[in-house]
Amino acid sequence: MIPHGATARHSRVLQMRRTFIAILVCCVFQTADAQESTTPDAPRFTGYPDAPSFSVVSRMSEMFFYPCGQCHDAIEPNPEIRALNVMHDAEIDHGDGRIWCLSCHHFENRDSMRTLLGEPVDFDESHLVCAGCHASRHRDWAFGVHGKRVDTWQGARIQYNCTHCHNPHAPGIEPRAPAPAPPARAGLELEKVEAHEKTAPWEREESKER
Amino acid sequence: MGAAKPAEEEDKVDKARRGFLKGLGLGGAAAASPAWGGQTFGDAWADFFQKHYQQMTREEIQETLERIERKAEQRYGVAIDCQDTPPQEGVVFGYAINISRCKGYRDCVTGCVRENNLGRDSQVQYIRVLQMDRGDSNLENSEHYYDPAEVPVEGKYYLPVQCMQCDDPPCVKACPVEATWMEPDGIVVVDYDWCIGCRYCMTACPYWARHFNWTDPEIPAEEMNPDTHYLGNRPRPRGVVEKCHFCIQRTRKGRQPACQEACPTGARIFGNLLDPDSEIRYVLANKQVFRLKEDLGTEPKFWYYSD
Repeated sequence: MIPHGATARHSRVLQMRRTFIAILVCCVFQTADAQESTTPDAPRFTGYPDAPSFSVVSRMSEMFFYPCGQCHDAIEPNPEIRALNVMHDAEIDHGDGRIWCLSCHHFENRDSMRTLLGEPVDFDESHLVCAGCHASRHRDWAFGVHGKRVDTWQGARIQYNCTHCHNPHAPGIEPRAPAPAPPARAGLELEKVEAHEKTAPWEREESKER
Repeated sequence: MGAAKPAEEEDKVDKARRGFLKGLGLGGAAAASPAWGGQTFGDAWADFFQKHYQQMTREEIQETLERIERKAEQRYGVAIDCQDTPPQEGVVFGYAINISRCKGYRDCVTGCVRENNLGRDSQVQYIRVLQMDRGDSNLENSEHYYDPAEVPVEGKYYLPVQCMQCDDPPCVKACPVEATWMEPDGIVVVDYDWCIGCRYCMTACPYWARHFNWTDPEIPAEEMNPDTHYLGNRPRPRGVVEKCHFCIQRTRKGRQPACQEACPTGARIFGNLLDPDSEIRYVLANKQVFRLKEDLGTEPKFWYYSD
């Protein structure tokens, strides 16, 4: 005989699974909807309630091909996922193949980016696009703890945008050479300080095996 | 071996001895170097009787600043602007470094050296970036002369160390002449003209933050930063102790310190600890932070965190 508690748990699990599927179906339809056009009453992210106000350093003037509509207005948009090899970097070293151009660039208006909900946002608001996946980083950034504030600690907050430091198509930062090492004190020579002899437990295990 | 010195060297030693005796005879260094060290008699006199920074009146400080500017002009050939910006009300500075962002580029060091008019040939640098083994936080095992082709090196992490601006600074207690003290905005400063160079503070500091000027700082005229502060980056003499002062000449005017500005990764967070909306307070409230050698009870206003 199945104890009463177990039956209750079983039905609760079933119910939860049903609700989950219902939510999933809703989500799929919603995103499909959003892809078409933005519903005016869809909840829109307007910033973190207790975050201080800030402005972002514009990068528009540094973008070589902008406005993109110069060419794209004359080109029929093609939603097929493919590698681009004309005018664009063919490789996207971001998201391990989960994303492609139109995940972030707006399908109809190429002078805009798009959020996960399909809302068009300005290139200078591109941090809202990044926020779609990197929510906790974006929160830190909005509070001035990820990224960098420009020039002052006091008064108006001006911050660099995500794309100032990260190339959105390859956001990892490559290693580079450090500035010269500090000189040794006059009259002394640099000597490699040998660390105290130490072996980690796993290193001891490895040497035993050999 | 080497019983007889070469004649040349003998000659040099002899000349030096003669010069020294002559100088002594004529009353000090007056005969060897230009009169009053190149200053006017009035300036040299005022230098000699200059009071402790905290005991000078407004007028005396003003006169001293003008004298410092004249001295810099004469020594480096650059017109500098030496100021005495007072601390702001309701401000205590604090610093936080995200060690998961720091990649060991040492750009902060370069920025600091230029901003603070540190001698280019001397070994004095206010910031040391320590290269540490992952899985280890023993400072004894750190390497600060690291110089690989590329950083970050696999299996290493980086820990920049500078003056922690302790709230209970042991260096201040060690100074026998009270040439160093904590300002109301929390910055531990040095009156370079009052320092006697005994270096007690260096031994008292557990963070290796204080440095002694063994040589006259050599700074190319075109690289001299003319925006200076009495307690900060004004040209300093040889034979005194100096240290990071949170770029007092910038931060008291609301600007970021030079190391924060130079950092390409945004690892450095600077701000007002008394402002609950400041970035530094966000770090303290939302990140897991630690301080170096906290058990010594020096209450550093310098935190580290990783995320």
